[in-house]
Amino acid sequence: MTQTASADVVIVGTGVVGVVVAEQLLDAGFSVLMLDAGPRVSRAEIVENFRNLPLGLKGSASSSYPPKPWAPHPMPSTGNPEDDYLQLEGPDAYAQTYIRYAGGSTWHWAGTCWRLTPDDMRLNSLYGVGRDWAFDYATLDPYYNLAEYSLGICGPSDPALQWPPQPRSRPYPMPHLPFSPGEDKFTRVMKEKLGYTNVPVAQARNSGMPYDDRPACCANNNCVPVCPIGAKYDAATALNRLEAKGAVILSNAVAHRIETGEGNRIEAVHYLDPERQSHRVTGNHFVVACNAIETPKLLLMSADSRNPNGIANSSDQVGRNMMDHPQLALTLTLDEPYWLGQGPVVNSGIMETSQGDFRAEHAGAYFRMNNFARNRYETFNALKTGKVGRALDEEIRRRTACTVNVVAAHEILPDPNNRLTLSANKDWLGLPKPHIYYDVGDYTRRSAEVYSMPIARRIAEAMGATEVKEPSAFAQSKHLMGSTIMGTDPANSVVDPDCRAYDHANLFLPGGGAMPSTACGNSTITMVALAFKAAEALIDQARRA
Amino acid sequence: MQTRHSSPGVSRRQLLIGGASLLGYFTFAGPTFAWTQAFKGTPLHQRFMQLSGLLINHHLDEGAGLRIGAFAAQKYAQLDQHIDSIVAIAEQQGATEVEQFFDAIPEGELRDLAYWVIAAWYSGSSSADADAELFTYEHALTFQTTLDIVPIPSFGLTGPNAWNRPPAPLLPVPRF
Repeated sequence: MTQTASADVVIVGTGVVGVVVAEQLLDAGFSVLMLDAGPRVSRAEIVENFRNLPLGLKGSASSSYPPKPWAPHPMPSTGNPEDDYLQLEGPDAYAQTYIRYAGGSTWHWAGTCWRLTPDDMRLNSLYGVGRDWAFDYATLDPYYNLAEYSLGICGPSDPALQWPPQPRSRPYPMPHLPFSPGEDKFTRVMKEKLGYTNVPVAQARNSGMPYDDRPACCANNNCVPVCPIGAKYDAATALNRLEAKGAVILSNAVAHRIETGEGNRIEAVHYLDPERQSHRVTGNHFVVACNAIETPKLLLMSADSRNPNGIANSSDQVGRNMMDHPQLALTLTLDEPYWLGQGPVVNSGIMETSQGDFRAEHAGAYFRMNNFARNRYETFNALKTGKVGRALDEEIRRRTACTVNVVAAHEILPDPNNRLTLSANKDWLGLPKPHIYYDVGDYTRRSAEVYSMPIARRIAEAMGATEVKEPSAFAQSKHLMGSTIMGTDPANSVVDPDCRAYDHANLFLPGGGAMPSTACGNSTITMVALAFKAAEALIDQARRA
Repeated sequence: MQTRHSSPGVSRRQLLIGGASLLGYFTFAGPTFAWTQAFKGTPLHQRFMQLSGLLINHHLDEGAGLRIGAFAAQKYAQLDQHIDSIVAIAEQQGATEVEQFFDAIPEGELRDLAYWVIAAWYSGSSSADADAELFTYEHALTFQTTLDIVPIPSFGLTGPNAWNRPPAPLLPVPRF
């Protein structure tokens, strides 16, 4: 073991949460050292990886990011569960996708930024289910504003199109992106036939102008798996700026143990390099922000005599309450062309269906029509028809124009039985793989039975679907939440309202793991808001120290 | 100095360098690249492009054709005989377009090859499988059928916020 380095603050993880916290600390004058398990790569390399994938893999979010042996991440299943990185068990598969590269999973996120509503944060008070947040929406609002200006989030200026439907305290920094013809048509049909308002997505994508030294979106329709021009925010775009401000960023550095000392303060993080050599990094404060799977894994791996159940785990809640947005995606074949694929891959959604008194009985759902260009999904289906020549050309064109994917994304309640533990199955470094038991639960299943799927079928009918393919099971949304849950009671929560670990005064765990409710919208903007809040608390604490 | 292990005029050092180069060629360029280079310009390559021209009614990219043909030469042991058979059927029909002779290709190996060639040109890949070989991305014909309205993902179609163009009709299919 070698003593590699030291800093005021050591941050494990260079994804969006770690990057946001790091920049606040650097701007406040603290030294920062960041560790990432995976490699640091160029955008051009990822774009070439994508372009060189066979057509059958072009829809894969992760295949453009081959994992390094020392930093495995979930990939399309090999068919042998033991070979998979995530060891899954339970009625539903927590089959998530995330990237262990410097820059983290915002490399391949869609950029969607739905804020929570005030009601989303009071599920227990209002509906008697789930958990309330430790603070209200008004407390979170200024941090949402910071997130929107930091990431560069565009959104509508018309209050009737904003989410949540209440006055904003600050306008979006950029106007919302225009709809494609298909989205215009979907919006019109939903309003005229079902009364729903399909609103523009607030999204971390430059709209009509450069922002943050990045260019405007030019409709490359490749936000997932990678924006080829950097118009979409991803954390990798911030790494050079952080280094210019003095951050030290170590890639290919796999954190495998957190060391505690007197007073149960965190003393150091130990990491392994690709030669399997261990290094020790010390600091005054520590932030672990490597997503709601890798963070609890590291905490559990670091059990010691002071913390026999793992770091930050006196409540026994580390790794529990694993959440996501369980989704049901319908593929519709329509009479008329919608011509998806112009603009970003997710550009609008129906959010009003996520709210209501029904939440006492079942989950809400948000509906969206994905805007991915359809050739990649329909070419092989067209080829299977056996047509050739002009008939084949027309079949591909018709399927590309007239098929759509409508998704119902559900909320889920925190359930301590949905739990990450350490598998006996080891990775290349000999570290345990994550084992995750997962059941979406009756609250979400009931929504699918009596609420979301009936709405989805009405949407299909309103769009003139001639064929509807319904999914047989919930799929996952890659929105990792809950595993280091926030609360006001240290007996049943891992972190306090500032994402500070109850068990360790100098350890912060901001991000999706802290979220006690999911609502239906994508989680990243809330994770970033929590990162700003945690950074503020950390800076205040460090200055007082 | 010559030894019994070397040919006249070729030193042991040259042999080692040559062997290392050849090994490097296969190691770093990959066997597919090697097949492609060996296939390039051969009579079989030319006949494969002739077959492709009969099966596909569109302009065909030479580079993509080279990679598809080289792969086919590895995949189909009797590629040359099969090409002769299919081309002969087309000539018997006096065909210049695929619709004029495709139904005359007998079910079995010949029909399978013909359809594999068509699928390779349209998908740019050797199959729908995750481990398929990629022959071309942007020249895959599937994208040409919708290029008037749908971008090839990762290649931009418009300028900033300028993608709200009028919907295109389903027909006619663009010429390509």
